[in-house]
Amino acid sequence: MTDNDYEEIMQLLCDRLSSLASSEVTITSDTNIISELSIDSIKLLNLIMEIEDSFDISIPINALADVQTVHDLANLVSRIKSDQ
Amino acid sequence: MSSTIAKLNAPLTQAFDFQPSSELELTPTPTRNTLAQQLAEFDTLTNALEYAAQGITGYNFYNAKGHLHSVLPYKSLRNNARSLAQRLAGLNLVRGSRVAIIADTSPEFIELFFACRYAGLVPFAMPVPVNLGSHGIYVQQLRGMLESSQASIALANLDYINFLEEAAEKSINLQWVGTPAQLKKLPVKEVMLQPNTPDEVAYLQFTSGSTRMPRGVVITERALMCNLQGIVRNGLEIKPDDRSASWLPFYHDMGLVGLVLAPMVTQISVDYLATRDFAIRPLQWLRLISRNRCTVAFSQPFGLKLCTMRVRESDLKDLDLSCWRAAGIGAEMIRPETLRNFAEKFSSAGFNDNAFLPCYGLAESTLAVTFSKVGKGFHSIQVDSKVLIDKRMATSLRAEGRKYNEFVNCGRPLPGHTVKIVDENGQRLGENMVGSVLVQGASIMTGYYNNPEETQKALKPDNWLDTGDIGFLYEGDLYITGRRTDVIIVNGRNIRAQDIEELAEQQPEIRSREASAFGVNDADGTTTIVLVIECRLTSAAERLSLIKRLQQLVYMAFGVNCVVELVPPHTLPRTSSGKLSRFAARQGYIQRMNLGEQLSAVAESGDR
Repeated sequence: MTDNDYEEIMQLLCDRLSSLASSEVTITSDTNIISELSIDSIKLLNLIMEIEDSFDISIPINALADVQTVHDLANLVSRIKSDQ
Repeated sequence: MSSTIAKLNAPLTQAFDFQPSSELELTPTPTRNTLAQQLAEFDTLTNALEYAAQGITGYNFYNAKGHLHSVLPYKSLRNNARSLAQRLAGLNLVRGSRVAIIADTSPEFIELFFACRYAGLVPFAMPVPVNLGSHGIYVQQLRGMLESSQASIALANLDYINFLEEAAEKSINLQWVGTPAQLKKLPVKEVMLQPNTPDEVAYLQFTSGSTRMPRGVVITERALMCNLQGIVRNGLEIKPDDRSASWLPFYHDMGLVGLVLAPMVTQISVDYLATRDFAIRPLQWLRLISRNRCTVAFSQPFGLKLCTMRVRESDLKDLDLSCWRAAGIGAEMIRPETLRNFAEKFSSAGFNDNAFLPCYGLAESTLAVTFSKVGKGFHSIQVDSKVLIDKRMATSLRAEGRKYNEFVNCGRPLPGHTVKIVDENGQRLGENMVGSVLVQGASIMTGYYNNPEETQKALKPDNWLDTGDIGFLYEGDLYITGRRTDVIIVNGRNIRAQDIEELAEQQPEIRSREASAFGVNDADGTTTIVLVIECRLTSAAERLSLIKRLQQLVYMAFGVNCVVELVPPHTLPRTSSGKLSRFAARQGYIQRMNLGEQLSAVAESGDR
């Protein structure tokens, strides 16, 4: 993967997450999606759909089990993207 | 991928014109069969498959974009399952040994399931991980099922094999763990596959039992066939031109029995979408129904809600749902608004609300207990709230302006089954009286596998199954009003209160019997999980950290947010035996929060 990709993904995730999160938090790569952002399952599904549509990828369900932080998610997306 | 994915050149009586030219190499199995339809007139699953294999119908699997990726006609299923059974035979297991299979929506799962039956083994489906960050808890969950079932073999597709191997470490019963591809490399043992008998166990079905000690429902071939006959003949009145579409997970009873086994024993074709793909893009399910002219499709109310919420107006014009004659709804309490909203949204796409088919059932009764009348839509009654609270009695609303509760009619028991309503002492109640719902009949489970204690709790004398649900009978029809407080249903998922409390009690700051979990409903029916903790911490930072940690744990385990309330020691109400009363804890919380939602509180009774 290229750094540009990662940056682009990170940017999109931060934008989307801050609009989905119910509280006013600054989102960084270390932000824990589960404990720091109160995102319910429906918002999460929306987020995954947006990511898949934006980057034209498919995120396998088994991979999400190891995602906790924004960095984990960005990493996963860029890995899937570069594997294509 | 595997050889199971038949690139069909098979003769087709009907061509489907919707296939884009790029995927002409795959064609779904047709709706019209070349074989006379038999409605579950079989004594075992393998006999049913031997018959279905003589036709040209079968299972079809679609990807997230709605493209067909695998076709598994019953004929190929039969051959592949028999060949896998010969390899399983080479492992020399005792007849009736359990085989654990992680059940993603794939042809491999169905082949393995039937391979087990041909080999005289007892398969059971394990879930796929669905929640963000759930790795650790998911592995624990698998381990619980492997131990509870004393499984001899465990299988998972490549995507999930790592989780399974992790869960299988230190297991004493497991003799072999691998992928379907690895199983296919095992040597074939040339044995005669022995026929099954109706009294043999057909499969285990794990319910939403606790993580540590999950409960495996034992279902015999006889119970299964009895339930399937009721479903396909009386519940659905299946005809030769029926076709199903489903996104329901194969590891749930409604997905497995209702949308894998019921279509096979009636030799009709099914179109599958993976649960995850449905959850992200619910429109794909409706598109499948519309394109393939499917007639029978089931969902939990939550699935219908997702469709209503997430489908855009612009999508509607491409849909024609007029073919959908049986829109079965079950697996959780049905709210009339969910159905009305769905019908309102999709009527312009040809959806006929007469298709709504509310039903009631549970894994402990194989799948179905009651069905309303197919083709007649859903019916509900409005009962006087005050009488419901004061007298625990459902009386229809007489005067205008009084507060009411509305309940959906779930219909009548399948032939050979009886439903009764009893009070706390097990005494039978009359019509209209609210109490525990008990069921008797030939579809009832043998028990929970290797768990006499839980079996005894659920199966009362004369084999009456205590369903754990609360409801009443009105003119012979069943209405469900709630669940007892030990199960919380959020977004269609059953979560055991005890599981959440156990998670909390694993924290060093929390002692046992200091956590109480329950659900509270807001006005539009949304359920929120509340976890009340008796807490000695005084530092604000420590308290905040505990709350965050608990919320994170609950999210990782169950994929839902929860409210955590810290209260001083001795706040939580206890029963005479010193057990926490969730019912009273919930009442206390509601008072503190001033929620004043007596109504949903009263529809449920106390703890078990």
